[in-house]
Parts: sequence; structure tokens; C-alpha cells
Amino acid sequence: MVRSRLVAAGAMLLLTGSLAAAQTSTVGGRVVNSQGGVVPNAEATLRPLPAPGATPMPNMPNMPGMAAEKTMAVNADGTFTFAGVAPGQYVLQVDASGFERSSQQVTVANQPLTFAVTLTPLDIPGAEGSAEAAAAVVPDTQVLLDRIKQLEQRISDLEANTVLSEPETRVKRIEVYVDPNNNVHDEPVPGARKQVTYQRERVYRRQWLTEKLEQAFADQDSKKIAVGVSAASVTQFARRTSGNGGEANGHAYQLNSADLLFAAGLAQYTSFFADVVGLSGAPPDAEIHSLTLLNSYTARLVRQNELNVREAWLRTELFSQRLALSAGRLDLTNYFDRNAVANDETAQFISDGLVNNPMLGLATNGAGVAGVFDPKNGFAFKAGLQQSNTDATNLSQSLYTLAEVDYVARPKGLGEGSYRVWVRNDNSSQRARRGGGVSLDQKLTPIFGLFGRYGTADAAGGRDQFYSGGFQFQKGLVFNPDDYWGVGYAETNLERGDRERLAEGYYNFLISEKLRLSFHLQHVFERPGGTPSVGFLLPAIRVQARF
Amino acid sequence: MRNAKRLLILSATSLAAYIAAATTVPLGAAVVKVQDPRTVVMIVNRDSNDIAFMDITTKKIVGKAFLGNNVNPHMVMMSPDGRYVVTGGTRANKAYIIDAHTLELVKVIPVDIAPEHLAFSPDSRWYYQGNPEGDSISVIDMVSLTKIKSITGLVEPLNTVFLPDGSKAYVGNYGAHWVGVIDVRRHELLKKIQVGDVPGVAKLDPEKYLGNIHGINIPQITNDGRWLYAADSDLGVVAKIDPREDKVVKVIRVGKSPWRPYMSHDGNYLITPNNGDQTISIVDLRTDKVAATLEAGENMTGVNFAADKAFVISSTTAFVYVYDMKTLRPAGRLKMGTNIQLETATTDTADQKIYLADSTENAVIIIDAKTNAFEKIMNVGLFPWGTHIMDSKDNYCH
Repeated sequence: MVRSRLVAAGAMLLLTGSLAAAQTSTVGGRVVNSQGGVVPNAEATLRPLPAPGATPMPNMPNMPGMAAEKTMAVNADGTFTFAGVAPGQYVLQVDASGFERSSQQVTVANQPLTFAVTLTPLDIPGAEGSAEAAAAVVPDTQVLLDRIKQLEQRISDLEANTVLSEPETRVKRIEVYVDPNNNVHDEPVPGARKQVTYQRERVYRRQWLTEKLEQAFADQDSKKIAVGVSAASVTQFARRTSGNGGEANGHAYQLNSADLLFAAGLAQYTSFFADVVGLSGAPPDAEIHSLTLLNSYTARLVRQNELNVREAWLRTELFSQRLALSAGRLDLTNYFDRNAVANDETAQFISDGLVNNPMLGLATNGAGVAGVFDPKNGFAFKAGLQQSNTDATNLSQSLYTLAEVDYVARPKGLGEGSYRVWVRNDNSSQRARRGGGVSLDQKLTPIFGLFGRYGTADAAGGRDQFYSGGFQFQKGLVFNPDDYWGVGYAETNLERGDRERLAEGYYNFLISEKLRLSFHLQHVFERPGGTPSVGFLLPAIRVQARF
Repeated sequence: MRNAKRLLILSATSLAAYIAAATTVPLGAAVVKVQDPRTVVMIVNRDSNDIAFMDITTKKIVGKAFLGNNVNPHMVMMSPDGRYVVTGGTRANKAYIIDAHTLELVKVIPVDIAPEHLAFSPDSRWYYQGNPEGDSISVIDMVSLTKIKSITGLVEPLNTVFLPDGSKAYVGNYGAHWVGVIDVRRHELLKKIQVGDVPGVAKLDPEKYLGNIHGINIPQITNDGRWLYAADSDLGVVAKIDPREDKVVKVIRVGKSPWRPYMSHDGNYLITPNNGDQTISIVDLRTDKVAATLEAGENMTGVNFAADKAFVISSTTAFVYVYDMKTLRPAGRLKMGTNIQLETATTDTADQKIYLADSTENAVIIIDAKTNAFEKIMNVGLFPWGTHIMDSKDNYCH
């Protein structure tokens, strides 16, 4: 019984093998080089392709579940044969060192297939042994190959002159290990200490002439002092809307400002900056006696038609560039209360009450130091001091100090916003010695943002107070994509009874990357202590160029 | 009994011969250097003209494929089936095909001018090599290892993306404001999709609009393959494209000069680094609105996602800016060195480590995404320009 089962099983195996053999075929061929010679040490691979409708991603070679692929050494006479190949789609590959891979799709049916495979030498310029394939070619072509090499060399020489294929050199900072005998090692060795040095490096990088020229110009520019210009012309008209008096009614005003900006790198993370400004013209602030400037550019005006150094400072960055220190003649408002929606008289509002917080109490630039610690995690800490009275004979008696904490928040459901708290002290002022305030700008939607400010300062018998608020649209509800517009309101109340209420709206057009044009409408109500309120409406146009 | 034994021996012999014929043992002359292609980081070294392979576990270079002097490879990619590694030699005008296991260069194929970025069809059959200076894509058949066609009519094609079903490919044209749709069956340009309107004031600013065009880098595809997002640098927008109808369904205004969109791994957000104003825009893909615009650095060249954070590479400042993708707030800044230049990075498939090319130090920086700690692997090759890990979700180039 056992015997008969064994016989049956053997017969089944034979039958299966015979059936399989009957459904298979052979794939073979001969491998030669381009001269028809035998290619030594070649190998052939037959890889099945996925069947139509199968998963499009073939399994990776050598991975579990991979499709079986067959590889065999090509015989000494260049022939090879895969036997027992089932019908289907395959990739037939032939490889030999120094030659390009030959790869082709083959369809196996029941008939044997034979292929003539010609391998092409793989030339890798600069690689060792790249002539190996050439050496495999029959000797009677050696003269021809030598000639080809000569021609290739001539082409290479020609390229070196026309497309800059010659090796490029550059100096690099490297770390090496120097032992007591001053022998240099690339890797640590006992007794050697790590040192930093500089060394020339040679690389093979082909560059086009345009690239090389651009690089040369960029290198030259980086060593120069960068010069910029920021010029503005603000034209305003005044019409009294309420109250009596005020010589400004019906008058037109224009103030022109030009800043020359200089910047230069001095050392690692250390730079110099200077802003020289000249102003010419008449702002409305000379005739409308407002608590805050109706043209924020007026703050820059020292003397008409004269150049003044507005800022000149050195800046260095420490502690992985987390701490930036600036020292020199500063405008501290450039560092503090940097409200994203209302802080730039060159691009947003022109009313100073909507550009700054008057409770900061800083009217002029002066010698000082500002430090900003910003680890870029949403918190920033700022502190600064500055000479507050330019007539003071020493810093001790005219010291203005300011500190601020900034925080980037994302209230639930809203966009990002910046929130700031600041305090300040001015030892040159008896009236408004201490002050403090908050400032925020918050996006409500991607195109709509709010701003708000509040400030208070010591006064003789109480406190001066200020607040402002408004909004800005950008990237939406505009004529052109880079335009923006905003509306703001500010109110200043001094302890002595003076009061100012101010509203402004503006629309800023982008004419070009260097030129902007904006239209403004201001309405201000001034009520000096104990007197009736006077109102003025001021349409304005600002042209701002920056390049 | 004797007959039965003979029959058994004959059967066994036949079976053995059949099995031997069916599974031939590999007889490699070439040494297999990489068994599992998912275990290596590929590093494209522009100036030593090679592709280096670094073992992810040991952090050692296990092999290099030298391509030839003055080849200057740009981007490296492994075929989805793990068989080949390919790169375009920008200064040699050739495509290079490397066996992913032996790391041997097996084929050099002439293509068009200045080949840079490339893409594979999902089935690994087609290798599209973009030639931005030649305004073309070279189509390489990965079965025959030959160039079968050149797709023309493009304008500085910078990057190509295939649909998951492989039926169409989308090309970002950096020299124009449209995305090219390629019919992959015929390898032909099928359609041009304009992503946004040039503003009316453009004629007043010839220096910007006629001087040098910065159009579309790449159309980025969502995880489910349903939508494409393409950023246009000059127009400052991201266009949402429906690949079923090949039309723009929404235009989202982002920051100035967005470089390209990068998709978060969970598919909820995309980030555009805006080099014009040194910010990033985070777009919520559930609402297709900008959820946050945050301060960033100069010359941003890439964004990687890992450990619920986004890492934004600021090339020339040597900083990597970090953002918390849960709160969409800034989460610090990593200083990678002094006087160095960073290029692009890839993220491992576990979303734990980032491999950043540090070109001027000939190094790769490995950043632990969870702790923000990093280490430098030196001497990987000259001027590493980019890195690549098989199946990584952050394989890109610049």
C-alpha cells in the first residue's frame, strides 16, 4: 500500500515536471562588444515584469516576496541560455564591468528566443579603470582607440577654455589634528590636538561664463558699502471743519524727505549702518497745533534743507545670534512697539498718533544702546537706553530707558498676532518720568488685521493717556495684489486737559517694486485745555520711493 | 521495490532540475553593497561628481558611485521599485543610472541641456528627467534603459509630479506662469494650466516682470492624490488644481516670492517659504486659507516635517527655523554653523531624523526632530547638494 502511494506520488511529480517543461521555453543569446569580440566576465539577468493588471509596484529585489529573477554567468564564448522560462514579460539585462548595462523587454512564449547583445563601453571621464572596457577590445583597434583618446583630450582642452571646465579652487576652513611634531592628521591620533586651519580645495565643477561673471559681481558687491535711498513727498491740504481760529484753513503743505542709507559688514555678525536725512518743505504741524504730529516725517526735521545724521550705529550679534546689540545714534522706536499694522510712516498711516505711541515720550534720536534677545520661539525681550535730551552735557542726567516683552500668539480660531508690553523711564523729564503701555496686532482673517495701542505716563497731577486702534486689509479687497489700505483712530488725553481725537484712512498702491503711491484722509479734533474744539480735514498724497 | 526506488530517484532528480532552472542562484561579479535600499541615505555631491550612500544606522558611507569629472549631479532619486538610483548631470547634459544594490554606474544617457530635477512614474517604468535650460523633459524607459522621447514645449521645467495612477504628470514651469499637463501614455504635453493673473500694474514695473521671470517650481500633490497645489513666485499665489478636470479651483494669496509648496505629512497643511519677505505662509488645506504667516529667514531652500514640527532651511544664514505644527507658532531656530551654506534635506520614514546637506563643509547634518539636537557627518563628498531616502515624504531638491 505504501509502495503504491510512493509510486503514485513520483508519477505525479514527473507529470507536473513534464507539464511545466512543456509550458516553458529558453531565452539565450550571445554577448559581444562593439567590435564583435567576446566580453569577459559578463553576466545575464532575466527579471519577470508584473503581469498585466497586477499591482503596479514590483517587489524590490532581495526583499521578501520578491519576484524570482535569474542571473547567470555568460560562457567564455559569450553565450548564455536560461532554460525553463515560463511565458510572460521579462527584462533581459546583461552586465559587464566597464560596459553600459544592456536592458531590454522580452516576451516569452513557447518558442525559444535568442538575442545578440552588444555591449557599449562605459566611459567615465576621470575615473580609474575606465579604460578597462577599451582594453577588452581586440588589439587591432588599439590605434583607432588611441586616436579617439587624443581627440577627446583636444575636446576637453577646448571645453576648458570655453565652458570653464578647468578645476575650480576655493579656500576652506578645515579642522585637523596636529601632533607634537607638528605632523597634521585628518583624524584624531593620540597626543594630537584639534586645530582649525585654512586650505585650498580643488574641485571639478564645470561652470558657464555667465555663472562665473555673476559670482564675480556678487563677490565684488559683498565687499562694497551698500547704499540705499528712501525718498518721500507728502502733500497735505487743510480745511477747518469745526471750531474757530486756526491759520491753517485752506492751506496746502508739502514736506519732502530723502534718506541716504549706508550699510557695511565689518566683521562676523557685526555691521555698520547710517541714515543721513535731508528735509525740505512745510508740514501742517507748524500751523495746526496738534498734540501729535499730523505728518510723522516732521519728527525727522531738524533744519530745513540740511543733511542730518538720523542714525549711525554698530550692531553685533551674540550667543548664536540670539542677542543683537546696537550702539550709536539710535531711533529706539525702530526696536520697540513694532506694530505690524501701524508703525511705518513710509508705507502705512502718516499721522504720528497712528505710527507711534506718544506715551513712549521719545521725541528725538540720540546716543544709546539697544539690545534684542530673540530666540525665535515666539518670545522676544528688548531693552534700550538712549540720551533723551540732546542739550544735556552728560548721559546720566538725560537717560531714557525702555524695556519690552513681545509674544507671538494664535488665539483659538484666529491667525497669528503679536502682543507687546513695555515700560519706560526718563530721568530728564520731571513731568512724564515713567510710562507704560501695550500694543497688539492681530490677524482675524488672512486678509484682515486689527491693531491697538494703549499708553500712559506720569503727569504733574495725574496721568496722560493715549489709545489707538484700527484695521488693515491686504491681499484682499484691493485693486492690485500688493496694495493695502487701513483705517485708524487715536485719542490723546493729557492730564492738563488737552485732548486730541484723530482719524485717518489710507489706500496704498504699489506702482512698482520701488515706487508706491498712497492717498490719505485725516480728520483731527484738537481741544487745548479749556478751549473749544477745532477740527481739520486733511486730504493727503504720499509718493514713496525706495531703492 | 527496485522500480519504485528508481522512480523516486528519477522524480527527485527531475524536481531538482526543475527547481534549479526556475531559481538560478545569482552569480554576481559585482558586489552587492546595499541589500535593502531603504537603509541608506543618498547624497548627491555636486563637486566630487558622485553619489554617496550612507548607512542610516551606522552613519558610515558604504559606497560611492563616481559619475565622471565635470558632471556636477544635481538631484538624486531612487526608483520606487528600489532597483535603480538616477541623477542628472547638469554640466554633462546626461542622465546617470546606478544599480541600487551594487552601486555601480550601469548606464549613461545623453539628455537635453542642464538636466536637474527628475521624477519616476509610480510603477518605476518611466524616468522623467527635466532639462530646464533645454525647455524639455527627457523620457527614459527604465526597462530598456534608453531615452525614448523628449517632451518639448515647456518653459524651464523645474519639477515634475506624477498622479498616483501614473496616467498624467504635472510640470512646474519656472519660466512661465502655467503648469504643464503631460499625458504619460503618449509622453506629450496635453494642456497648460495658468495659475493666476498677472496684475494690471505689471506693465509699470518692467524691471520685475520683464527682467527675470520666477514662475512655478513644482505642483505639489496631496497625499490622496486628489488635488495639486502650485505656487507662483512672481505672482505670490498658490493655485489649487483639480487634476480630474485640470482646472484651477482656487487661488490663495501668500507671502512675497513663494519658492514652492511643501506638504505636511498628515496632509493638513502646506507651507510656502516666501523669500521675498522672509516669511513662511502656512495654508490650512481643510479650508484652503492662510492659517499663519510667520517670520523666517533668508534664502530658504526647503521645508521638512518631523515630530509635529516643520524645519525650514535658510541656506545662507545657516539657520534652520523650527515651527510647531500643532500650534502653528515659531518654536526656535537652530544655528548649524558659521560661514556655511545649507542646501536641502530629507526626512527618514519614521519622521524622526532629518538629513541636511551642508555643502560648504562637505557634510551632512543629522537633526533629531524631537530634541532638535544635531550632529555633523563630515567628508561625505564635495559640496553635497541634496539628500534622498527611499519612501521619504520629504524628497525634494532646489
